[in-house]
Amino acid sequence: MDRRDLLSNFFRLGVRDNSPQVLEMPVTGGVELHTDPLTLNDVYHLLRRIGFGATVVQAKSYVGKTASEVVDELLGSASETAPESPGTWVDVINEDPEGADLQTRGAIYNQWEINMGKLATWWIDLMRTDPKAVEKLTLFWSGHWTSEFTFDIKYSIPQTLYRQYLMLRSHRIGDMKQMALDVTLDNAMLYYLGGTLNDAGKPNENYGRELQELFLLGIGWYTEGDVKEAARVLTGWKSQRYVEEPAPNGIYNSWFEAAKHDTGAKQYLGQTIPARTPDNNTEYQVKNEEVFELIKIIFRERPEAASRFLATKAYKFFVYSSPLDVDPIFIEDLASAFRNANFDLKVLFKTMLTSKHFFDPAIRGAQIKTPLELVVGLMRQLGQVDSQAYGWGIKMDQTLMDTPDVSGWPGYRSWISTNTYPQRRSFASKLVESMSDSRVNEFIREFDDYTDIVKLTTNIVDYLLPAPVTTERLDYYVQTVIQGAPTYEWPGILGNPTTAAARVRNLLLSISKAPDFQLC
Amino acid sequence: MKRRNFIATTTAAAVGTNILGGVRLKAFNPDHLMNIQADDDRILIVIQMFGGNDGLNTIIPVDASEYYDFRPNIAVKKSSAVNVLSQIYMHPALDTPKYPSAYNLRRMMEDGRLAIVQGVGYENPNLSHFRSTDIWLSGFNTSDPEARLVNGWLGRFWSEKIQGFPQSLPAHPTAVQIGGSLSMLLRSPKGDVGIALTDPNKFFELGQGLSPDLDPMPEDTRYGREFNFVRLVAEQSDLYSSVVKQAYDAGRNMISYPDNAFVRQMQLVARLISGGLKSKVFLVYMNGFDTHVQQQNSDESGLHPYLLESLSAGVGAFMQDALQQGFADRVVGMTVSEFGRRPFENGSNGTDHGASSVQFVWGNKVRAGVYGTTPDLVNLNSNGDLRYQWDFRRVYADVMEYWFGGTPEETETVLQERVLPLGVLQRPTSVDDAFSGRFRVGIKAFPNPFSTSTTLEWMQESPASVTIDLYSTAGRFVETIYAGSVQPGLVRIPIVPSASGAYICNVSVNGINNPVSLQCLR
Repeated sequence: MDRRDLLSNFFRLGVRDNSPQVLEMPVTGGVELHTDPLTLNDVYHLLRRIGFGATVVQAKSYVGKTASEVVDELLGSASETAPESPGTWVDVINEDPEGADLQTRGAIYNQWEINMGKLATWWIDLMRTDPKAVEKLTLFWSGHWTSEFTFDIKYSIPQTLYRQYLMLRSHRIGDMKQMALDVTLDNAMLYYLGGTLNDAGKPNENYGRELQELFLLGIGWYTEGDVKEAARVLTGWKSQRYVEEPAPNGIYNSWFEAAKHDTGAKQYLGQTIPARTPDNNTEYQVKNEEVFELIKIIFRERPEAASRFLATKAYKFFVYSSPLDVDPIFIEDLASAFRNANFDLKVLFKTMLTSKHFFDPAIRGAQIKTPLELVVGLMRQLGQVDSQAYGWGIKMDQTLMDTPDVSGWPGYRSWISTNTYPQRRSFASKLVESMSDSRVNEFIREFDDYTDIVKLTTNIVDYLLPAPVTTERLDYYVQTVIQGAPTYEWPGILGNPTTAAARVRNLLLSISKAPDFQLC
Repeated sequence: MKRRNFIATTTAAAVGTNILGGVRLKAFNPDHLMNIQADDDRILIVIQMFGGNDGLNTIIPVDASEYYDFRPNIAVKKSSAVNVLSQIYMHPALDTPKYPSAYNLRRMMEDGRLAIVQGVGYENPNLSHFRSTDIWLSGFNTSDPEARLVNGWLGRFWSEKIQGFPQSLPAHPTAVQIGGSLSMLLRSPKGDVGIALTDPNKFFELGQGLSPDLDPMPEDTRYGREFNFVRLVAEQSDLYSSVVKQAYDAGRNMISYPDNAFVRQMQLVARLISGGLKSKVFLVYMNGFDTHVQQQNSDESGLHPYLLESLSAGVGAFMQDALQQGFADRVVGMTVSEFGRRPFENGSNGTDHGASSVQFVWGNKVRAGVYGTTPDLVNLNSNGDLRYQWDFRRVYADVMEYWFGGTPEETETVLQERVLPLGVLQRPTSVDDAFSGRFRVGIKAFPNPFSTSTTLEWMQESPASVTIDLYSTAGRFVETIYAGSVQPGLVRIPIVPSASGAYICNVSVNGINNPVSLQCLR
């Protein structure tokens, strides 16, 4: 084999080749608005991606409307009311367990574990019942601006993660620069990425690096020198975690310790942040003139990189996560809309989710469901609650507010392995089997034409699977319900709620075994 | 003692004399022949140390005053570092003080079962955990940040080796990862060559009967491709859950392992091998090496020492178990970590992301010893980080060619680049070699160093096909000097490198590597 043969082999690996893999079914739609009135299957598709799946009632209410109207409604407004607090524990503050006796320390850690379970269960419940797309968008951000509950041998205190959740939720469709500022000075984040230890003369580069690499730009757009300078800009901010620590801004709120801030001039991305004198080394001034300035410099000096980076991240989360199939033209158009709107996130999400590209048949059913999309989605779609939903997520490698590392969940095919796939199947079976006879009978009656078994089966398949199935497959599913009887006997079977429930449970189990049940 | 046998000595790089084929035959003692037949059972264990292991606090440069200047709070004192065979100083945690009687990396080094590769890294080091991990696992060193790295060197290697993959699956999983989502290392363009599992009993309980009752779909849509991906995992879950369970039930551990999360993974691997699982690769994972904060306390305890102790105890216990059960000759292991740390400590008693680091390669079939010199703490790179001495893929080339019986062409296909094996693993010798003159020859280069040209000279016993290539000292291909055949007799070939520099000149004689160091000073 000569070198040229070898090289042509390498391209087959799809590694150096930057063009998307050639498929016989290309995505023809671009960033332009999808203007056709939405069909039922369009609505199902939209709701699977922007949220955790439609309920039957919700889907019906959107049929015939335009994508623009529906997406506007689902994205909600910036001033969406905050959910009711998960409990009084969110305002409980402890002593520093490091200094406490062994028993107290154990009790504090234990309490944090309990609180984390409460917080996650509370949030999953909000996701399940969310009439809009508020929680799914917040989940996107929670996996982007990560703050792990447990890392190394440390904890992010759930009380601080609760506050971070509220902050991300309020910024979810706002100004990206404001969001970046609030995250940078977020109490949980300052602890998680070592910002609280980043002092003048003793820099800790951890957050400064990740802000550029993982949160805003991606590698290749800054130098190692920029990492060091960003760390200097960010010196002096402290997290507030324990009762014995200063809390000038109140408990669980970060604060500024002037003596730990590096007041010298900084050179960042070719821009100068001037030195400051002791009398203007204040929380307000440093926040606005240095921290916010650092973020503005990123968006000013690297607008293309920043907009493409975030557009790509959003595309992978909401449209298609395969790294080799991110459509560069669509991304460029999306990024440009985002830039032109001065990094208004609502424009980014709305442009993406109302585009012809998004509604193109070629991308339907291509997305691998994340564990929470599977767990929350099935609970929501079957109207059935599993109180262990948080635990199921953990078994499937998605622990809410506790990503495997600072880069978040790796996504795409990493979600499905011989470790997690059996758990997915087990969850779905158990949830279906836990449905009472009366719940299954209600479920049947949510669909139009439920007395016609072929129509009912088609409706349920459309509801739970992401793409149309072949006639043979549909026949097979019909057979799992009627089990050899003629189809006209279905109304009779319906007259016996126990039998009807057993048959439809069979259908649901059968659908949940299909590979495309894991897709959306 | 076994390691000191004739074959081991004759495959050493330092051989300087011609040895006749007939003499060699004495080397084929029955013990060795058994190993040859067992080639098919060879196993690699990869230990991934995520976060970037601090090489300078692993193998301690006790004689470099700069080390103590750079790290006033977290340097390991010479008095507490463990001197092994008068060659290196290990972090005391590697001597597993918590488990004083345990077999560990220090003892393995003394017994000739450990190779320590200092200065492993690559050109233009990337200090991102994720990008650098991807570079390590994919085996592609690309400085193009847009290049997408989506599969691993072991995935690509094995997906080509397995007959009929993925249309038909081998009876046993080719690779097994303990815990977590399946690593990029085991992914290939044809699909995953491995499975991930945490608990064999649970896997069995949940995996049974998961084969989908639907055929694969056409691959011409995104939906069809992802459908088939999920379908393959479902099939693997069903098929391999019972294979793994059988091996787990039939297998055993013959020693008692220290109780530690990492060690338990090694214990599970030993049990699966013992029970007859025919997997080629096992991947185990350690997290926590991203030691930005409080990596070590003043008494040299703390997070990083804990991790080193876990590593040493886990590898040692596994090795002891393997020796007792008789499968030690079939296993080699290697550590990988995306980078080392900065030479300087930071302000938080930790260290930030750095460049080159240290790698362990272990097993009965390694050529034990220390590769590379103590890291140079004076001549740092432009970012103030340690320079690398060896390209990280050299050990991969050893694994593919010397351990799994691949060819240099396969290595080149997998790595998209010619990479010379480091020679850290013993090359398997087969009976065929003895009759085809496939043995190392003693090669002299004179003059060396030289300014314009040097001449290679050796005695060739039989006609041979010869290729002479120059590589950088780190092991990356530079240029081909000669390719052709030679006749028996004294062979003399002049070498004129295109540029001044230090080189490894590899003389491949009938496919056997004979590396010679050359220095061209112009």
